[in-house]
Amino acid sequence: MRRSKAVHYGAKKKPDYVRKQSYRFSRRALLVGGAQAGLFGLLGWRLHQLQIKEASDYRLLSDENRLMIQLAAPSRGSIRDRTGAILAEDKENLRLLVVPAFSKNLPETIDRLSRIVDIPRGARDRVMRAAARQSGYYPVLVAEGLTWRQFALLNVLAPQIPGMQTDRSAYRKYHHARPMAHLVGYVGMAGKGEVDLDPVMRLPGFRAGRAGVEKTFDEQLRGTPGTQKFEVDSRGRVVRELGSTPSTPGKDLVLSIDHHLQAVAQERLKEHRVASVVVLDVETGGILALASTPTFDPNEVVFKVDPKAWGRIARAKDQPLQNRAIRGQYPPGSTFKVVTALAGLHAGVITRGRRVAPASIGWAGPGSGVGALMAGGIDVHQALKQSCDVYFYETAKRMGIDHLAAVARHLGMGRVYDCGLPGQKEGIIPDVAWKRAHLMEPGTAARRSSRASVRASSPPRRSSLPSCRPVSQRAAPSCRSSFSHRTIPEPDWPALQLDPNHLDIVRKGMFGVVNEPRGTARRSALEIPGVMMAGKTGTSQVVNAHNEHKLSPYERETHALFIAYAPADKPRYAAACVVEHGGGGSSAAAPIVKDVMTEALLRDSASAGLRGPEQG
Amino acid sequence: MKMLFAQGPAVKLDLAKKLLLLNWPFLALITAIVLIGIAALYSVAGGSFDPWASRQVMRYCVGLALLFAIAFSDIRWWLKGAYPLFILALFLMALVPLIGVESGGARRWLGVGELSFQPSEMMKIALVLAIARYYQWLPPEKIWRPDALIPPLLMIGVPALLALTQPDLGTAALFAIIGGGMMFLAGVSWFYFAGAIVAVVVALPYAWEMLHDYQKQRVLTFIDPETDPLGAGYHILQSKIAIGSGGFSGKGFMHGTQAQLNFLPEKHTDFIFTMFSEEMGFVGAVILLALYLLALVFITFMALRCRSMFAKLIAGGMGLTLFAYVFINVAMVTGLVPVVGVPLPLVSYGGTSMLTMMIGFGFVLNAHVNRRVTFRQSELGGLW
Repeated sequence: MRRSKAVHYGAKKKPDYVRKQSYRFSRRALLVGGAQAGLFGLLGWRLHQLQIKEASDYRLLSDENRLMIQLAAPSRGSIRDRTGAILAEDKENLRLLVVPAFSKNLPETIDRLSRIVDIPRGARDRVMRAAARQSGYYPVLVAEGLTWRQFALLNVLAPQIPGMQTDRSAYRKYHHARPMAHLVGYVGMAGKGEVDLDPVMRLPGFRAGRAGVEKTFDEQLRGTPGTQKFEVDSRGRVVRELGSTPSTPGKDLVLSIDHHLQAVAQERLKEHRVASVVVLDVETGGILALASTPTFDPNEVVFKVDPKAWGRIARAKDQPLQNRAIRGQYPPGSTFKVVTALAGLHAGVITRGRRVAPASIGWAGPGSGVGALMAGGIDVHQALKQSCDVYFYETAKRMGIDHLAAVARHLGMGRVYDCGLPGQKEGIIPDVAWKRAHLMEPGTAARRSSRASVRASSPPRRSSLPSCRPVSQRAAPSCRSSFSHRTIPEPDWPALQLDPNHLDIVRKGMFGVVNEPRGTARRSALEIPGVMMAGKTGTSQVVNAHNEHKLSPYERETHALFIAYAPADKPRYAAACVVEHGGGGSSAAAPIVKDVMTEALLRDSASAGLRGPEQG
Repeated sequence: MKMLFAQGPAVKLDLAKKLLLLNWPFLALITAIVLIGIAALYSVAGGSFDPWASRQVMRYCVGLALLFAIAFSDIRWWLKGAYPLFILALFLMALVPLIGVESGGARRWLGVGELSFQPSEMMKIALVLAIARYYQWLPPEKIWRPDALIPPLLMIGVPALLALTQPDLGTAALFAIIGGGMMFLAGVSWFYFAGAIVAVVVALPYAWEMLHDYQKQRVLTFIDPETDPLGAGYHILQSKIAIGSGGFSGKGFMHGTQAQLNFLPEKHTDFIFTMFSEEMGFVGAVILLALYLLALVFITFMALRCRSMFAKLIAGGMGLTLFAYVFINVAMVTGLVPVVGVPLPLVSYGGTSMLTMMIGFGFVLNAHVNRRVTFRQSELGGLW
């Protein structure tokens, strides 16, 4: 190896090494270049795999990222009365919601929102629970009924609060709220069981009927939801709407109710603690008024519900949420004598004009009409008019309880009617089988049946039927008139299989109760010239040997009942009234029916010109 | 052209000749890649030059000035200055743990605010120069000797260790790839590389223990990103979704939903390739990669044409740097390697990486301009 100062590395000296190194560099540079090209090929293969082979999978994932499909709640159908007055309708509701999945920290988000909108502790807990229970992509309602100012402020701040949403939906507004509360009912959030049936129910603010016709006709009123497709960014904020299928609004419902008559009835009941009154159109079966007191305001339970206010209503004295008109079970008292009379005539144990003498009964006890009985016996007309207990004890005893029960059932008692109101309770018509089942001595049955222990439940059945059927009611009671564009076929309503003469006897007796001297409801005769009302009073005893000492003075008072129809010669309206612990039927219940019936008849003649041929 | 280099060593080139000798097609190629990057940044900002594209243009201009300055400078300065520059870079890197600025859990920067500066970027250039300088000096017949390996290994090892303490796994790996690749190009025996691979395999479990938790997590989620789609695996998964959903022809310029709707992380820096291939599809991505590959071919042929080992290795080393950046970045965003935070050179937004690459290309062009130059030993400077 030669060394010199003049050696140029990479130049001339040691040509073998230098050239070797140069060649080696070239070889290796090409090798490295080849390796680089190969690795780029690997990248190309990877891109091919991602962008061509698996592209459709990734496109789907990308769409899942950016698309948000929301169900749009349909607007609920409105409810109107027969005059067209709106009873329930949807109104605009500005709401605040959160989508938990898009909110980084839900409690913090709520804290920030609470600076603008008041969020009570209870609402906050409810949001946290809902967020934990359901999919994070379902929006949870935080507050509703915002003012425009709050709504605008929230929309401005929306980009800074991930997961927050505002929307404009609807809330339910009830008009003539307090008188209509029991009949129209109210809406509420879907219960846990219902939510699993239909995902629509999970939409915040989606409301399902909870009571009254809102519940019965919920499906028709509800409508079908639409969908809205949004493009969202990574924090869930809507970038734009990509399209939507509109929701179909629910059908409008028209009721047979007359809101004015209803208001009058409700007003008239006010002086009593617990009472109810029902007015039917016997031609159509339509319920014109169905009032129950105490009542409540459904607006308080459907919108911006404060749990405390709800609790106050639910636990209030005398249970205002209960619809007494269809759920109260009362012994019918003397009003049942109408049935007993019809059954007796049908069985042949009594006939028109035949007097029943005291001697033939061989029984005398306390009760109204005893004096007349002593004076030489009375006929069925007198017995009805004066409500003679002894006469009907005897009648029931002669025909037997099963015959009485059969006639009562034929008249439609003890049944639940498809009248459009949920939660009806059927009445009890005792017969031998029922007595055996309840371990009672058969011998006492007849006497009891004529008076206190026949529990026909509610005024639509108990009162409307014994009073309307004798005058040949043509349709089953119903509060539903129609949905818009469509009338509902009337349910099958069997014709009465009783002798018209017998019906006439009973009708005359009921006419006597109100219009003849010594009639029990003489003081409640109508004051409209030429129009008469027929009816029957009832007073049912509450106290017995078992509960005598447990009851307060109010609770010891008898229930007052009255059933009626008018005009007596050409029946159009039937009414029934129960006043709990109201005293006598003639003093407490009959005056209410008189006033409500008067109102119904006057309204009828006032609008007769307008409605024309509808009058039957 | 041959006239210019009648007999190598003594040639002094004036600026006009240098301008003639410059590899203008290569410069055009680089500019094309930068323009693609600027278009991508314009799209990422939702169709706006603010805030990224306009600044990127400015940085490119500054980088271009530096590129020309270096390309037209005398290669002998750099031969002499290689070691001092390396020592300066090493000193600055050593300062980082002492007075560095911390950001995002790592201490990598010197200085304050806008004027912050990453010594490890400077080291990438200095390392290439120093190793090239070393093999220029090393007599070719001694290259196989084990003791000749010690200086370059130290040159690679010390900065790599300093980078690991920052901690910056990506940069340390880059040093190893660039340094190792240059040693291979210089002609170090195959057996050493085989031995090194065996040693790495043996040392891997110990290295694993030394990693930070977040680094371990990155490796683990890389192996199976689906296990944690909302946490650590989110970036990889969203990136793959974006690239894959681009399909063959892409979603169209400025219509990449993944990027525009912010599902992509770091879309203007490390994940810009993702965003580009989402909007431009397989075609666009392959064209971009082809441009990079073409640039690598240019560099390789420039290296081959150089006479001196110093110039060859400078060009080869810068080529390795470019390759390592592009490969790691694209492999990272397509889910082939763990996310290590390496930008896509010339395209990703970021001043440091743009300047580093432009300076690096300046050296490549410098080597190219001086391709006929050889050195006397007296020109090697005073250090050895």
